[in-house]
Amino acid sequence: MKPKIAIFSLTSCEGCSLAILELEDQLLDLLGAVEIVNFREGMTERAWDIDVGFVDGAVSTPQDDEEVRHFRAHCKTLVAIGSCACLGGINTLKHYQSGGATRDEGAAHAAGGNGRVAEYRRYVYGENAEWFATTPARPISAVVAVDYQLPGCPMVKEEFVELVKCLLIGKPFRLPETAVCVECKRRGSRCLYEMGIICFGPITRAGCNAICPAYGSKCEGCRGLVSPDAIAAAGINLREQYRVDLNEALADLRLYGAYQEALLP
Amino acid sequence: MLDLMVTPADFVALVNELGRKRRIIGPVARGDRYFYEEVGDAARLELGFSYAVYGPKSFLFPAVETLFRFEADNGSFTAEPVYDDRPAAFVGVHPCDLHAIRLLDRVFAQDRRDEHYLRRRGATMIIGIDCARPCNEGVFCADMKCHQADEGFDVMLLPLSDGDGNRRWGLKFGSAAGREWLTYSRRCTAPTAADERAAETFLRAKAAAFPRALTTRVERLPELLERSYDSLLWEATARRCYSCGSCNLTCPTCYCFDMSDSLDLSLTSGVRQRLWDGCQLPGFALVAGNHNFRPRAAQRLRHRIFRKAKWIRERTGVAGCVGCGRCDRACTAKISAVEIYNQLAELD
Amino acid sequence: MAVLTVPKLDLAASAYIPTPARIVRTEQLTEMEKLFEIELNDPRRLGHEPGQFVQVSLFGFGEAPISICSSPTRPDTFELCVRRVGTVTGRLHALNEGDVIGIRGPLGRGFDVNEMHGRDIVIVAGGLGLAPVRSLIQYIVDERGRFGQFHLLYGCRQPSEILFRDDVAAWRNDRRLHFLQTVDKADEQWRGRVGVVTTLIKELPELDPQQTVVVIVGPPVMFKFVVLEVLARRIPQRSIYCSLERRMKCGIGKCGHCQANQVYVCLEGPVFKYGQLKGLREALD
Repeated sequence: MKPKIAIFSLTSCEGCSLAILELEDQLLDLLGAVEIVNFREGMTERAWDIDVGFVDGAVSTPQDDEEVRHFRAHCKTLVAIGSCACLGGINTLKHYQSGGATRDEGAAHAAGGNGRVAEYRRYVYGENAEWFATTPARPISAVVAVDYQLPGCPMVKEEFVELVKCLLIGKPFRLPETAVCVECKRRGSRCLYEMGIICFGPITRAGCNAICPAYGSKCEGCRGLVSPDAIAAAGINLREQYRVDLNEALADLRLYGAYQEALLP
Repeated sequence: MLDLMVTPADFVALVNELGRKRRIIGPVARGDRYFYEEVGDAARLELGFSYAVYGPKSFLFPAVETLFRFEADNGSFTAEPVYDDRPAAFVGVHPCDLHAIRLLDRVFAQDRRDEHYLRRRGATMIIGIDCARPCNEGVFCADMKCHQADEGFDVMLLPLSDGDGNRRWGLKFGSAAGREWLTYSRRCTAPTAADERAAETFLRAKAAAFPRALTTRVERLPELLERSYDSLLWEATARRCYSCGSCNLTCPTCYCFDMSDSLDLSLTSGVRQRLWDGCQLPGFALVAGNHNFRPRAAQRLRHRIFRKAKWIRERTGVAGCVGCGRCDRACTAKISAVEIYNQLAELD
Repeated sequence: MAVLTVPKLDLAASAYIPTPARIVRTEQLTEMEKLFEIELNDPRRLGHEPGQFVQVSLFGFGEAPISICSSPTRPDTFELCVRRVGTVTGRLHALNEGDVIGIRGPLGRGFDVNEMHGRDIVIVAGGLGLAPVRSLIQYIVDERGRFGQFHLLYGCRQPSEILFRDDVAAWRNDRRLHFLQTVDKADEQWRGRVGVVTTLIKELPELDPQQTVVVIVGPPVMFKFVVLEVLARRIPQRSIYCSLERRMKCGIGKCGHCQANQVYVCLEGPVFKYGQLKGLREALD
């Protein structure tokens, strides 16, 4: 029996779902091994007897909250795909617009609704902002139990294929426990620090094959932190070796919700 | 001491002739840095390069290498080794990197032979280039006695000039293969007395051009390390270590690797590969059941420095650290091997 | 000593290619440990020394180093005692008789049985440490006439973790060897000794320091306590053996994963004499 697969989206650009379609020739091989039963980007029919459900997007509205619980109830295995589903992602930026100094403080404001919340919601939704209820943006693991995470903006297609293979043969799937630097060196890229750029490679989880630094863009941490030890080292190094204000440097890391104040030294 | 002379233009032509039978790998410019790459035309080689960001291991011991291809076969399996023994010529290897290759040669031939490395290496001609001055700030190759190489190449190039200031390569043979390649070439000429004098001048100038960075002698490092196993230096330095492994992966003498399977989508066939690994990565000494034999960054840093300055030489008889400075450049936490050596030397 | 001749290696071949082998029998030893009896597909026998290990290959899953727990005196097949702790061992536990796996080896250095011939032997095994040392126990039992006194001490945490129950019963009834057993924590059925394995040393008769070889295999903390007791009885360091656990990957002294300080455990070990561990600060961590 082929495993039945479903792909769902919450608040997001749905780019991670699309990344599955971009697998092209591999997709056909994949379809030989699995049966896709529910996929808004790729089909119209829906079924709810699901072995593996992939979800992209953050939980950012009351509907998201409801839907992700529904997915969980109907999927034997639930996989978060992309930075939004794994970390909260870009959606978490709204917390900082609500007058909070930290993500959690901002989230509390956004939940309570203050003057600035009303302001940014009008900016996003226009005149009828109150028609669109939102909640603080959270990774789906904050709402339901998640079996596997495939972080990245977008998720890494090759990692998706690897996870599917692991599920098919019953092999435990693990994300790399090393920093992006490992893959950056393996592919022979030039280190951006040599050009005076503070890249987040040393503190970000590998698995992306260091694609951003390979094209001269610094790593922005879309796959999340590799370990608490690494961010502790970053705190020390930015202060002592680079004389850079930590909060300023790490503000960029907020982009994908990977920046977790509680982990700072 | 010179065997032949050749002009730069003739040398490019010679390498292109060689390129009809061999892949040509050498330094090419990307931005303001140099990388070893395969080239179709030897004119692309930047033989006056400063240093290659990654050492020669990126070609001789690739970052990802397939060891064999396996296939399920009627209840059993077949496994076919994959070797890359296409003839190649590595053109433009500085003395420090020649020393690094010598170490890889020893390691992969020692005890049980590693055919994957040795076959590629056996099919590769090595053309060294002597350097007149340190290639970059912070190198300490002279301290490690690796800024000169008398062996480990098929041909060595010396950057010389003739009396009129025209650039010429002075050639020295290091093997029968090198001699065979060039001896009867009409593009090379016999060295004159003036060429020999130029070579002597070059070597004298070179000897004076390399400043020392180490405050002790390299021979002292093993004993200094022995006395520093329990030093707080390791903890003090490693507190800023990211454990990202960049020092290992850019080191031309680091040869540790991991092994990993990759299945085809058929799930019945695939490859087993090896990938560059590093002792600074947190999970390097993890065993099944999750016990980590080197859980702290300080233990891992100590392990790396002991290997580089003591253990590798004890085991292989050749230098484990060639002083190229790549690890120091790669470290975004600015942890420096030579600085650590000098802190050890304070004990002296 | 025909059984200890090592088959000729093809040195021009890749050292990384596994040989097909078939699982001919399995036995669940405890909840976590399963025994696999293996037969190489080609007519070659494994030809190992007691204490050596093999790499078990499952394609798509990878390799795991497993010590050989049967003696070369029983050469038609060999046995592996596998604890389910990782990707490869987890998969291996799901395999059955008739399934094919890949084997590389034998690898590493085992016990020097020639040096042990004619001597009194004390073996102290703790927990899963019984597995690597069982190859030596079987060897001594099979070649009993070549050894002097034989004391075998085995301890584990609780009765449910006792490995090789049939062997244990046989050893208990074998009058040619002196077998002592303990558990750290008894259950209701347990009638034997209770206490850590170190306590068994006190039950040994006087040992002749020049005549005795002591083999200690178990967790590092157990090793340290037992070594104390044994050194106190004036056994020379060159006569004390241990076996180290590390994560061998290449198995041929290249990949670096198994290093304890400067030593490649996969090449120079896993069996060491205590005297060889001097200066190896990581060995017993």
